[in-house]
Amino acid sequence: MSAYARFGLPAALIVLIALFALTTPTFLTLANLKSIAVNHFAILALASLAMTLVVSAGGIDLSVGTAIDMAALAYIVILQQGGAPALAILGAVAGAGLVGLFNAGLIGGLALPPFLATLGTLFIGQSVQQLATNGGVPIYLIAGAPRPIFALIDASRLWLVGLAIVGVGALLTASVFGRRIVAGGVGPAVAFYSGVPVRRDIGKVMILAALIAGVAGVVLSSSVRSYAPLSGNGYLMDAIGATFLGTTFSRWGRANVAGTLLGVLLLSVVKNGLLLTGVSFYWQQVASGVVIFLVLALSFVSRREG
Amino acid sequence: MTVASALALRAIRKSFGGVQALDGATLVVERGSVHGLVGQNGAGKSTLIKILAGIHHADAGVIEVDGVKQTALTPSKSERLGIHFIHQDRLLAPSLTVAEALLLGHEPRWPGTPFINRRRLERQATEALRRAFDIALPARALVRELSNAEQQIVQITRALLNQPKILVFDEPTTALVRREADFLFQAIRRFRAEGLTVLYISHYLNEIRDLCDEVTVVRNGRDVARVDARSTPTTRLVSLMIDRSVDQLFPARAPRFGEIGLEVVALTLEGVFRDVSLGARKGEILGVTGLVGSGAKGLAQALFGLARPTSGEIRVGGAAVRAKTPRAAVAAGIALVPEDRRRHGVALGLSVRENTTLASLGRFRRFGFLAARREVAAVDGLIARLSIHTPNAETPVRALSGGNQQKVALAKWLIKGSEVIVLDEPTVGVDVAAKADIYREIAELAANGAAVVLVSSDLMEVQGLADRTLVFFRGAVVADLETHQLDQDRLLTLVTTGRDDRETHVKAAE
Amino acid sequence: MSKPRNRLAAALRLGAYLAFAAIVVAFALAAPGFLKLGNLLNVLQQSAILGLLAFGLTVVVIGGGGDVVTGGIDLSVAANLGLSAAIYATIIQRGYPDALAVVACLAAGLAVGALNAVAVTVLRIVPLLATLAVANIVSGLEFVLTQNSVVTASSPLLSWLADNGPLAIPVMAYALILVTLIAWPAVQATPSGLRLQAVGAHREAARAAGLPVTAYVAGSYLVSGLLSALAGILSAAYLTGSSPGSSETLLSVVVAALLGVVFSPRLTPTIGGAALAALFIGLLNNGFQLVNISSYWVSGVEGALILFVVACTPAQREALS
Repeated sequence: MSAYARFGLPAALIVLIALFALTTPTFLTLANLKSIAVNHFAILALASLAMTLVVSAGGIDLSVGTAIDMAALAYIVILQQGGAPALAILGAVAGAGLVGLFNAGLIGGLALPPFLATLGTLFIGQSVQQLATNGGVPIYLIAGAPRPIFALIDASRLWLVGLAIVGVGALLTASVFGRRIVAGGVGPAVAFYSGVPVRRDIGKVMILAALIAGVAGVVLSSSVRSYAPLSGNGYLMDAIGATFLGTTFSRWGRANVAGTLLGVLLLSVVKNGLLLTGVSFYWQQVASGVVIFLVLALSFVSRREG
Repeated sequence: MTVASALALRAIRKSFGGVQALDGATLVVERGSVHGLVGQNGAGKSTLIKILAGIHHADAGVIEVDGVKQTALTPSKSERLGIHFIHQDRLLAPSLTVAEALLLGHEPRWPGTPFINRRRLERQATEALRRAFDIALPARALVRELSNAEQQIVQITRALLNQPKILVFDEPTTALVRREADFLFQAIRRFRAEGLTVLYISHYLNEIRDLCDEVTVVRNGRDVARVDARSTPTTRLVSLMIDRSVDQLFPARAPRFGEIGLEVVALTLEGVFRDVSLGARKGEILGVTGLVGSGAKGLAQALFGLARPTSGEIRVGGAAVRAKTPRAAVAAGIALVPEDRRRHGVALGLSVRENTTLASLGRFRRFGFLAARREVAAVDGLIARLSIHTPNAETPVRALSGGNQQKVALAKWLIKGSEVIVLDEPTVGVDVAAKADIYREIAELAANGAAVVLVSSDLMEVQGLADRTLVFFRGAVVADLETHQLDQDRLLTLVTTGRDDRETHVKAAE
Repeated sequence: MSKPRNRLAAALRLGAYLAFAAIVVAFALAAPGFLKLGNLLNVLQQSAILGLLAFGLTVVVIGGGGDVVTGGIDLSVAANLGLSAAIYATIIQRGYPDALAVVACLAAGLAVGALNAVAVTVLRIVPLLATLAVANIVSGLEFVLTQNSVVTASSPLLSWLADNGPLAIPVMAYALILVTLIAWPAVQATPSGLRLQAVGAHREAARAAGLPVTAYVAGSYLVSGLLSALAGILSAAYLTGSSPGSSETLLSVVVAALLGVVFSPRLTPTIGGAALAALFIGLLNNGFQLVNISSYWVSGVEGALILFVVACTPAQREALS
């Protein structure tokens, strides 16, 4: 990855921020920056970190949204039934963990290709959610009793993201397990020939990724105080986009935490900026879609030359 | 009036990044003859053929086809000149039928419609197969349902449909059994009778003598002889192929042998080798050699858990080992430096450091994290010890030369310190300087107490390095001798014919 | 000749046909109206859209090599369908004639196909990611056009398409049959079709045989785009306009294409296999409705089907390799 290509991502980010700052007076206000950081960013960041983990290991996880939703479902339902917040969080862990375990079984156990396996999970999860909510009816919590847990989660949102960043970052760059999964992603055959348990490792990665997505699910449902079925899927494309955007930042073209964060920022800034300039919600998807496409093109072209 | 030769490559020179693959090689093939091309691995045969195919361009020399000088050959030009290659890989689409595969690109149609005339397609295919081989393969069978030999028949027939002038066979019998090989030879004799010119490359010297009119021997990038096939005994061919120059490649050794490190008892791998027994002591380098398909490679695979033996036992340090995966083999103390360096040996996208410590991460573990400084120190030490030429340990292995990549592959197991180390073609595609370094390390491995198994088709390498040598031929061990009991002639004869030199001499005298 | 491989393939195919028959029997027993002609024609009509999409995906998969992950795939077919339907409905709603709407749709479909082709052959993006990204853009464009709401439209052509034709058989059923009758021989019985199969089965061999490999791969994406556009027109007729949520059909299409492999004689993707698979899914959906099983089970069942087929195919692939 040439030096110039590497800094394309942060450069683009700076350019876009400057552009929006100049054209929209409200962009650089503290309130707006806070809303960028807090609203979309936290959840997308967590989902993208989960995706970064899976892509590092050489796979892709189309069910990251499903894990988000399952966690949210368990969380809200338990709270609604009067359960303690601690129990609700445990339920969320279980919900997401179930998705992760299912993926681990398919990919690690049955050696199915990650794309197809997680595609299957995605749609089975869809069925499960539709059945549980009788066709996609969101579950709202009674507005009456204030729940301190929500306020707690809201306040600690960025801390959670920070924790995940440190955790995933440390795992990928400094841990033995991280080294194994990166090797399994870059050269699965070589890793296999070196005695690395590639399939077992990727199974563990799927579970870990689902758990991180589960945290996103708790954050999401805490902030909207409800569970809306299939809302996690909205983050899927952007999570993929941010992760691959991030690979351009790495010297090696590998998925990495810093790059993914820059990617998340880029996409959030694009969405927020377009919103402020009055561009309709729907053009936002096209815009971020085009950005993702161009990044993929860049990523694959420079990978060939590298 | 002299008739122009069908093919003449004269004084061809070609180098690849400092390695001189061809150094003035000449090959002249007379029209209507079957011409054999022999030489050891790395002698330059395949480079010569690739130049003929237009895949590489010669640095110097002249190519003439039918007396007409050719410049800048390309694959399509080569084909248009009537030169067709029967490669080792079949290059047939597996899900097509025999008829479809034969006539792909020239499918007969119902006149005036865009539809394939299936009946004519099948009839033409059956006709072609009958004419070429007098064989009746079902035109509707799928390519993937055919045996190797049958696929080769389809491959050859397809080439024949192009009315070639010259057919080049590249190691055609490696995957064939005796009966199928004989069938192929009958066909080749028929082709010759019909005026076709055949260039036949093979390691099996008996076949060369049976089939060919003339033979060209290539050695060290040059042709060293062009002889009449039938009147030249195998032993003479063998001695022409061998490079008798003394290389300072091999380290002096004073091996000291310990107890048995690796033991194999009556090991059988269905279809690959049968009833193999061997013992390698600690400190010993055991050479294992044989042609492709002889079973030597299969042994390496079975030892490392890549192929499950049908019967028999493998013992490391006296304990039975049943490795079903490489991971289990590594845990049992067996290491493998694989033949395909780029696909199995080193991960091109990982750094030198990441590759080197890949099999021994546990050694650098501290509370789940990598002890970075210890790792760096260990890797730097190995880089120095093996003289790995790399800007630093963070360089991606992709950027290293073949020889240095192989050193990294070796370093990985040096760090691990396995009791048994299997090396599969450790110096293929490696330059001379790196070869010497690698040989030194292999000797060092043995000196440090490992039992080293050296699987190699490079006879010079086996001769120079191994204490004992096992020769495989068509799935069985045909010799197990101290290396000093074998001279190169005897070794090559064993490898290419499965019979011991002495016997051949005795037979000739009868 | 390798009899064991042959036998395994035949066994798998037999199993698939038996499963098909079993499902039909099970539904016939559980729901009295299932086997009525009217209902079956209904199924045919409902399968038309899925069928067309599955044909497009199948063509891409044939040309890209049967391995869905590393070979060719087109995940933008559903989004393309949605955009097409949206374009048609919008044009009709604005008062323009059918002819213009049809041309616009086909042009848009081809454009999307061309974008995919460029992404895969020129930019060399892995087809999986390339078509996923294009799908994202295209569905975004669909949203822009429809503002995420239903766009009703009715026109002579749309009404005719949604109606019954001669012999009281739905026009869409005829459409499905017609396209099948064109696509099937085109892919299985012409030189171009055979060469496309060769390109997908063994790219090196195809190249060695002198075939223009890149052109075939690019062409397969164009065909897929075109078929998606046609499906979009049918969809606009069926729903009297366009409605959001077309991306949900993506799974059904992928399942149909994958399932189609198991129904075909050579265990490779084929038009015939895809047609049978589309019918299979149509019958499944229909049966569920009649037996009053909630439609929410549908995507789960299809997900399980995908996993099942993929789980079986490595075994089959291993047996065949």
